[in-house]
Amino acid sequence: MRNGRKTILLSLLVITAAFAFRTELAGIERFPPPDFESGYVPPETAYPPGRSPWLDVADVAALLAALTLAAYLAIFRRSRRGIVLLALFSTVYFGFFKKGCVCPVGAIGNVSLALAGTGYTIPLAVILSFALPIVFTLFFGRVFCAAVCPLGAVQELVLVRPIVVPRWIDAGLRVIPFFYLGLAVLFAALSDPTSPNFIVCKYDPFVSIFRLAGLPQIVVLTAVFLMASLLIGRPYCRFLCPYGALLSIFARASKRHPSVTPTDCVKCRLCETACPVNAIEKPNAEDEE
Amino acid sequence: METEKNARPEMKRREFLGKITRTASLGIIAGASAVLVARSAGARTLWQIDPEKCAHCTNCSTQCVLAESAVKCMHRFDTCGYCKPCFGYFDLSGSADGTGAENQTCPNGALRRRFIEDPYYEYSVDDGLCVGCGKCVKGCRDFGNGSLMLQVSQDLCQHCNVCSIAVSCPADAFVRVTPDNPYPALKGMK
Repeated sequence: MRNGRKTILLSLLVITAAFAFRTELAGIERFPPPDFESGYVPPETAYPPGRSPWLDVADVAALLAALTLAAYLAIFRRSRRGIVLLALFSTVYFGFFKKGCVCPVGAIGNVSLALAGTGYTIPLAVILSFALPIVFTLFFGRVFCAAVCPLGAVQELVLVRPIVVPRWIDAGLRVIPFFYLGLAVLFAALSDPTSPNFIVCKYDPFVSIFRLAGLPQIVVLTAVFLMASLLIGRPYCRFLCPYGALLSIFARASKRHPSVTPTDCVKCRLCETACPVNAIEKPNAEDEE
Repeated sequence: METEKNARPEMKRREFLGKITRTASLGIIAGASAVLVARSAGARTLWQIDPEKCAHCTNCSTQCVLAESAVKCMHRFDTCGYCKPCFGYFDLSGSADGTGAENQTCPNGALRRRFIEDPYYEYSVDDGLCVGCGKCVKGCRDFGNGSLMLQVSQDLCQHCNVCSIAVSCPADAFVRVTPDNPYPALKGMK
């Protein structure tokens, strides 16, 4: 039948074209591989192996262990020295060893893009990195920020003498992280899945410390934040970190959190000025019996 | 005990609100995680270069966040032509003759040339010297078999969430690959 012959001819044409096209895709071979007479055997191309998937498991396990320890030290032992030591560990491990990547702060972008449903695949380790600190915050407050986050740990370790930021400046600057969070989610969710736009990662001020390298503008940003952290307590955490904004929402409902024991407190109010992040409020009128 | 509860109604309300918020938050997180896992959880993906798209622009040697770029030139021996005048090894635009360094494309001498039998030479890359500039790759691709290619070396790469080289690549040649096959181009697969 005419239709049958047309189909066969068309199929042959398509198959031939596909083969020709396929050779082009497989690499141009202008010079055929030689036949060696001397018995030389071309070596196997040696290449460094990829990252073992078990390392992802180790990453999540380390995060979980650090979060548990931070919660224990902050809430149950109330040990400042313990927190500082854990912060040192986090700087070394999550910071310098893992180069600060992938971190829960940057994972905002990954999760936003994955939820946007554009076909971006997100590893389970990244989902857990994002979710575990939130779960701990719901029960113990922002213990992730305390001593686990490498960005926060660096700021904690370089703080020499915290100055008190005036309340009105503090109140104004504290809004910025929420805007940054919104922008981070938007930029990530609306970006192309093959080359995502994670602004939190791109403009992370502390990652250049861990990598000991970076673009000039980011190194300047790092220097600015480091110098600010000498005198202001946790400038990035309080006034910029989008993940901190997210955790602060959940922390309001936390089951346990650092608190002043009311029976021992004599209302000297020294703690209000001592707190590096201005987290202690004036005593309530009700408490003054 | 009843009088205590009645005397502090705000505390009980706050605890109640806290419990509700915590339960709701956990539910949202669990739900969102389940959606993400079901919809898209994949293996951790790694950065890699697609040599078919690569424009040989030398950005790979300058844009990496590391001081020594994680991009290296890698050589597929099975597709190499073993040519005496290798277009990746020799810079044939120069006027000088011979096999000296002034005629080599590689600015660091990272491409090694070894005589096998007449007229075939084996070319290999010295990883310690290669900076990933792609000049040899350009020559090989434009005039030869395309057996030299720039690839992300997975032990040097820091696997940044946002690859600085990928952002600056003019040909958009950076792709994500799975850890079980981190060098698809070296095996002849796309």
